[in-house]
Amino acid sequence: MKLLGVDTGGTFTDFILIDDKEIRTLKIPSTPQNPAMAFMDGVTRLKAKSLLISHGSTVATNALLEGKGAEVLFIVTQGFRDILSLGRQSRPRLYALHPERERPSLGEEKIIEVRERTLPDGQILLPLVEKEVNRVLSVAKEIPCSSIAICLLHSYANQKHEKLLEKIFLMQGYKVSCSSTILPEYREFERASTTVVNAMVSPVMGNYLESLEQHVAPSVLKVMQSNGGTMSSTAAGDKAVHTVLSGPAGGMAGAFHIARSMGIDRILTFDMGGTSTDVGLCDGSVPTSSQASIAGWPIKIPMIDIHTIGAGGGSIAAIDAGGALQVGPASAGADPGPACYGKGNAVTVTDANLFLGRLLPDNFVSAGLGLDPQKCRRAMEVLARKSGLEPYRLAEGIIEVAEENMAAALRVVSVQRGHDPRHFTLFPFGGAGGLHACALAEKLGMRKVFIPLFPGLLSAVGMLLASPMRDYSASFLAVSSSDRTNLDAAYKPLASQAHQEMLAEGVRPADLTLEYSLDVRYRGQSFEINVPYSQDFISAFHQKYASLYGHCHPEREVEIVTLRLKALGQGLNFEDLTALKEPSAASPPFIAKVIWRGQRQSWQGYHRGHLGIEEPVTGPALIIEDTATHLLPPGWTAIRHRLGHLLLEKSDDS
Amino acid sequence: MIPDTVDPITLEVIKNRLVGITEEMGAALMRTAFSPNIKERRDFSCAVFNHKGEMVAQAAHIPVHLGAMPFAVSEVLKDVEIGPGDMILLNDPFRGGTHLPDLTLVMPVFIKGRSPDFFLVNRAHHADVGGMAPGSLPLANNIFQEGLRIPPLKVVVNGELCPTAVALLEANVRTPQERVGDLQAQIAANRLGERRIRELVAEKGLPETRICCDALLAYGEKIMHHIISSIPDGSYSFTDFLDDDGISDKPVPIHCQLNINGENAFIDFNGSSPQVEGSLNAVRAITISAVLYTFRLLGPEGMPSNSGCLRPLHVITPKNSIVDAAFPAAVGGGNVETSQRIVDVLLGALAQALPEKIPAASAGTMNNLTVGGVNPANGELFAYYETIAGGAGGSPFGIGMDGIQTHMTNTLNTPVEALENVLPIRLHRYTLRRGSAGEGQFRGGCGIVRELEFLAPVQVNILSERRKRGPYGLAGGKNGLPGRNILIREGESREIPSKTALNVQAGDRIRIETPGGGGWGKPSDMDIDGCFTNEERP
Repeated sequence: MKLLGVDTGGTFTDFILIDDKEIRTLKIPSTPQNPAMAFMDGVTRLKAKSLLISHGSTVATNALLEGKGAEVLFIVTQGFRDILSLGRQSRPRLYALHPERERPSLGEEKIIEVRERTLPDGQILLPLVEKEVNRVLSVAKEIPCSSIAICLLHSYANQKHEKLLEKIFLMQGYKVSCSSTILPEYREFERASTTVVNAMVSPVMGNYLESLEQHVAPSVLKVMQSNGGTMSSTAAGDKAVHTVLSGPAGGMAGAFHIARSMGIDRILTFDMGGTSTDVGLCDGSVPTSSQASIAGWPIKIPMIDIHTIGAGGGSIAAIDAGGALQVGPASAGADPGPACYGKGNAVTVTDANLFLGRLLPDNFVSAGLGLDPQKCRRAMEVLARKSGLEPYRLAEGIIEVAEENMAAALRVVSVQRGHDPRHFTLFPFGGAGGLHACALAEKLGMRKVFIPLFPGLLSAVGMLLASPMRDYSASFLAVSSSDRTNLDAAYKPLASQAHQEMLAEGVRPADLTLEYSLDVRYRGQSFEINVPYSQDFISAFHQKYASLYGHCHPEREVEIVTLRLKALGQGLNFEDLTALKEPSAASPPFIAKVIWRGQRQSWQGYHRGHLGIEEPVTGPALIIEDTATHLLPPGWTAIRHRLGHLLLEKSDDS
Repeated sequence: MIPDTVDPITLEVIKNRLVGITEEMGAALMRTAFSPNIKERRDFSCAVFNHKGEMVAQAAHIPVHLGAMPFAVSEVLKDVEIGPGDMILLNDPFRGGTHLPDLTLVMPVFIKGRSPDFFLVNRAHHADVGGMAPGSLPLANNIFQEGLRIPPLKVVVNGELCPTAVALLEANVRTPQERVGDLQAQIAANRLGERRIRELVAEKGLPETRICCDALLAYGEKIMHHIISSIPDGSYSFTDFLDDDGISDKPVPIHCQLNINGENAFIDFNGSSPQVEGSLNAVRAITISAVLYTFRLLGPEGMPSNSGCLRPLHVITPKNSIVDAAFPAAVGGGNVETSQRIVDVLLGALAQALPEKIPAASAGTMNNLTVGGVNPANGELFAYYETIAGGAGGSPFGIGMDGIQTHMTNTLNTPVEALENVLPIRLHRYTLRRGSAGEGQFRGGCGIVRELEFLAPVQVNILSERRKRGPYGLAGGKNGLPGRNILIREGESREIPSKTALNVQAGDRIRIETPGGGGWGKPSDMDIDGCFTNEERP
């Protein structure tokens, strides 16, 4: 079987094709107006047929960010028509003369209230009668919407009324998203928001996937989900809310799988882009959380747990009114881009790297970009005068501030969650990750950095390696007792749904893994901690609580809030991809002029493909490859592994 | 000025580190707390102070604590012998606190010497601290009715929680288990902050860290100078009113005279009402917070909050007044209601200086609802508190947001499904209050209608404002509609006062309609689409 991973990003669409003998990669510009064009173009160029394609796409995300999702009709319990407008009543920015919500309104006329009421225990207070169903239907028919979101109060406890409405609307040819199907968990606003997002993005995603399938038939198309696993394209067309973070999920899944194949279980990932940086932590598994919010819409389904900050290569440096050097969150983006792109005058992190000789102007040519050192220098000098610093000191300062911000992000996902970063390996990817990785590692007391093969294609690789996966959940809301009968019974429907749906995904029962876990808290609290479901999950909870917060309350009652079940099929092993090897470019070492801690120095420069296998290179040095540069500071050693990965290590004596 | 030894790079790095510490403290506090006010509503603040008791960093949690935290530390410094491992608890509004439910915990950090080098402080709104009504925001006419008053009290001694102090606290509150859980969360947050401060000092060195702290204060001062100098010099004044103090019917004026002189602002509240019999009295710390909040609105995003920011703001408050209350005044509503009106008054004055920037008045009340009694589901006492948002004022930048927390609060609602799962309360309506927004070129935001049914006999307290006078419009915009409180009993509805304490029966309903925001600009200049949501619906 030939395998193809396709990652559609904002700027580039990446392809990685693997068959028995060889591996081919392709990077072409994305076609944001119609993302299918770049996809089809790439598949045609690779001349590959009968493939198993894993695809991560920004279609759902962009539909949400740009407000181009389907028009949605929202059906809600009478008395609660405004739950989406009200949200949690809070404003996103605390200090704003003119506070604004990020989330757009659906439109007054697209909300229908329905006379019905269910209680927290699932009892029905006000039954939904046929006459009322017909009334709702006739109101809906007056509104030109084909996608419907239904969220009724307490439907997680009893989905009868939602299912009644769903049935009627499906019969009439509507596309329906039911909150008790999409997210059967309590807290009405977050459940409604997740459901509405699904109703907005599913029609768009469905059309997109349909057109791709027609083009690639008879190849099989799978879609990357935000949780780090894949689902069939048919399923993705109905539950597109599960794909909103598919790109970053691919990256983190790829990092995890590759690191594990090298015997490294604990990594901190670091993906530095143009406007933002994503960081994450894997401690033996790809972690998920349900706290995401996109364009002001909370999406409470499990997604890979990444922390994003507004600092990237394009982050703009400026001196603020109080005289401090700020880097970001404003970004020069791709257009006009950093000063060195030649179009604008904003000094960015990329400019600072170029100014200090840490980036080579010619190394961007393959990406269609030549950097302009003169423009960069002039812009740096202007800002330097404003700040009263020497230009080189300003450039170093920009990098210092940006790296401090990134180190803070890495602390959020490690130290603040009870993990000691010194026991982890830093795993940078993306074009610029390798420039800052060693400095970040030093800030966090880490000694090891792992730079994968094809750092710029990691998301596509991750998509190839991802296994079919589904997450299921149910609200439980009860104080735990030693009798587990109720708990086991509540898991049963989740498990049978998982079996059924994974079978439909083509997963053989023998390959199916079910992971049971619980979200628990002390009774009276509002934030839960997820622990695996085992005989002594309660003591596991006390322990995890203590490691997170420094104290725990063994004397207090523990409340089970949500049951979770993760269904996993068999994925590909990285070892299977032995064909993965990098092209050898026979270019000789070179000398790079670098400014390092105020000193002009001559550093050794290497082309990555030219490094000998298992032959250590010592810093200071620059290691370059297509579209990526890695900086090896003094005191660090790099070794190229047999499979092409770079292992960087800090020596003991520095 | 910024000391020469600190360059723009170090300044930015240290600022982000210190703010990061306070944010991490806040996240830990929120996640481990038991009071809805802390865990759901985020009614808390965390800060780092230097050895002189100046606040060097505070996380952006809730504006009403902004300028108030330094009062707590200066009281501790004045009165208490402190050693390593100690923590001081206080809530006395006349000795460093604001109102009684806000419990402040101060922890000194000793690096080397015998005097503290830093303080970690957090303040959190507990669900109940005793007094005459559950939730401790009663219709009181003196401080003793409002709850347990705690002067600076050493509650952690040499690392150990003092059991007798805890016993005293437990004996005086309605939900003691919850109080102790919250206190432990506060202790853990300070300890976390201490760990981070020690790491920072180990990395940078104590002298260098001290210099950086001074530089940060100078930085805050410089930014505030910058904000003030962007306001035209001159003298501006404005008066607005609180409806009444809940005991008499008389309106309560708040007056401010604002003088802008170059880089300094003089804010004089002389002419405001003397302190009142009811609980609307604000202590000076609250007034300072409201002033700092208002000026921060004009500053750049991400500007720090520290004591330096306060230096150019010269606030004059008459003693024993509604904006500077003295013992034994009741002060419960000073935080939650009067603070909002102080902002309205100050913005009204600023609108004369900056007519193209300042929004019309927002709801101007937090619509505080407290409910307490015995929960029939488990026989336990409970105290529940919520605030209900209103409309934001329209502004030159567009229409005001509907149903959103404004100005001195930004607390979250309690989800309907969360509430109904644990308390004998059923929600019948939670919608926008269409038709409540003040018209204008840019209308205000709509208020909210929230209707609750009680499933058991409970005690209800309402503390609300803007029930008589709607939030003001500006530049020709109309006032927002005032709010209303309604009791529905056996099918009969009747309006009840803005400040009400009553015992309800199972089946009774309370319906709160919150004010809409004022409009900005003439309604005749309105963009037709802007007004849609404000149309009444059946």
